[in-house]
Amino acid sequence: MAPDALVLGEVDAYYGDSHVLQKVSLRLGEGRLLGLLGRNGAGKTTCMNVAVGLLPPRAGTVTLFGEAVTARPPETIARRGMALVPQGRHIFKSLSVRENLTVAARKPAVGGRHSWTLEAVFASFPRLAERQHHAASHLSGGEQQMLAIGRALMSNPRVLLMDEPSEGLAPQIVGEVMAMVRRLKQQGLSILLVEQNAKLVLDVADDIIILNNGRVAVADTVAGMEASGVDLHHHLGVF
Amino acid sequence: MNQWLLLGVNSITLGGLLFLLSAGFSLIFGLMRIPNLTHGSFFMLGAYIGVSFLGLGLGFWAAALLAAAAMAVIGGGIERLLLRRLAGQELAQVLVTLGLSFMIADLCLMIWGGDPISLDTPAGLSGAVPIASIVFPAYRLAIVVIAVVIAVALWLMLERTRLGAMIRAGVDDAPMARVVGIRVSRLFTLIFCLGAGIAGFAGVMGGPILSVYPGLDADMLPLALIIVILGGTGSLLGALLGSIVVGFLYNFGQVLFPEIAYIILFLPMLLILLFRPQGLFGRHAP
Ligand SMILES: Nc1ncnc2c1ncn2[C@@H]1O[C@H](COP(=O)(O)OP(=O)(O)O)[C@@H](O)[C@H]1O
Ligand SMILES: [Mg+2]
Repeated sequence: MAPDALVLGEVDAYYGDSHVLQKVSLRLGEGRLLGLLGRNGAGKTTCMNVAVGLLPPRAGTVTLFGEAVTARPPETIARRGMALVPQGRHIFKSLSVRENLTVAARKPAVGGRHSWTLEAVFASFPRLAERQHHAASHLSGGEQQMLAIGRALMSNPRVLLMDEPSEGLAPQIVGEVMAMVRRLKQQGLSILLVEQNAKLVLDVADDIIILNNGRVAVADTVAGMEASGVDLHHHLGVF
Repeated sequence: MNQWLLLGVNSITLGGLLFLLSAGFSLIFGLMRIPNLTHGSFFMLGAYIGVSFLGLGLGFWAAALLAAAAMAVIGGGIERLLLRRLAGQELAQVLVTLGLSFMIADLCLMIWGGDPISLDTPAGLSGAVPIASIVFPAYRLAIVVIAVVIAVALWLMLERTRLGAMIRAGVDDAPMARVVGIRVSRLFTLIFCLGAGIAGFAGVMGGPILSVYPGLDADMLPLALIIVILGGTGSLLGALLGSIVVGFLYNFGQVLFPEIAYIILFLPMLLILLFRPQGLFGRHAP
């Protein structure tokens, strides 16, 4: 059997003394879309930080296509094919739109499929092409989100992590972002999607993980979850 | 030549040298947030190393380039082995770089002795060049031209290349730059090498004018500080303008008001710190 795209195995992570992730395990199968849900402060972003190498876990493992990358430096993990669309977008403000994309450009890691280039990103996000010479800080929120997604794709990742890509966007833009997520999934990219909005995730995900207070509360396929009638309301509170 | 004109030419020449000194200082301080108090020592050590290469019979420019290369290696070593471990601890960085500058000063005294060494003007540049009705000393003109060429090259590298964009991305948001796959720490080492190398080159180039002597480091460092505070950290344009301003203040101050030359030199810095702490063109407040 082919190894999973991304596995967190019993990860314990701390910020200083505060124990934020407690034995968190999750498994993203190749070509699948794993939705990661949970209340504000549940530890979703922390999972991302551990996966990309920004926060070395105190215990547990991170495995990328069967290869251990636990606590490796972020730039190394990026080169092995992981890309992040971070919460809050974190575009490079003093760079132009085009530079934001070109600094991230890389040939696909071994096993990468689709080949994203500047032209391909511009074709997918025509607004970015129009504004390529503008300072990235002058983009609207929706455009910045497109830029953050485009930047992640420029590295031709094998695994894409997206942390609340719909946050703070108008409904129409959210629709565009989710359409892009679907398209990437169809291209065979393995995607870990974090969302507050469970409805968005249930529409596109194959599998679901729900975090509660830094622990895994539910781990199931979307179909299995619907069959067993898990009370999302109970785990997520607000909708 | 008219005395004022000569003073003006000297000011611009000193400005050119000071730019080469402070460009690296400004980049290291502005981009990496390291207050590198060994920067004056890079200038002096580069000059002394150039003296030794000249002593081996090398030509002036070959000696200057080799001294620059040596300083790049030494600067990169200091960054990797020492400053790297003190990331984010500015006080520790100040103390370590200050301590290093004393050690380098002692080392130079040991190796090259205490007598000033004056370098010969490189062959072919000892004459004068008439431009319009003014006669420029050729070597001073060469310094200005080289400073401008290096300034333009640095600017193009930072603003117009992918490497420069990666450096700016690392400065903007280092963790995100690393997540994108940019090897930020290597780029920072590169900047340190570059800054130290250019300072060392400037040391040799200044040799025929300033000569090389113990204390050259301590004479140059405050000037670099003033320039970077005037121009703003991390800004090449700021470093260039600051260098020219300081070049003029220094020369005219010494001649017109020798008793208060230092006041004239430092007063603009105090005013800028009080009223425009990010400097004239700076990226951040220091
Ligand atoms: N840099 C940090 N330092 C200290 N605590 C943090 C930091 N980032 C997040 N936390 C805490 O860790 C917990 C999990 O945060 P996070 O992973 O950002 O949650 P989520 O993304 O699910 O909203 C929260 O209690 C939050 O307050
Ligand atoms: Mg979050």
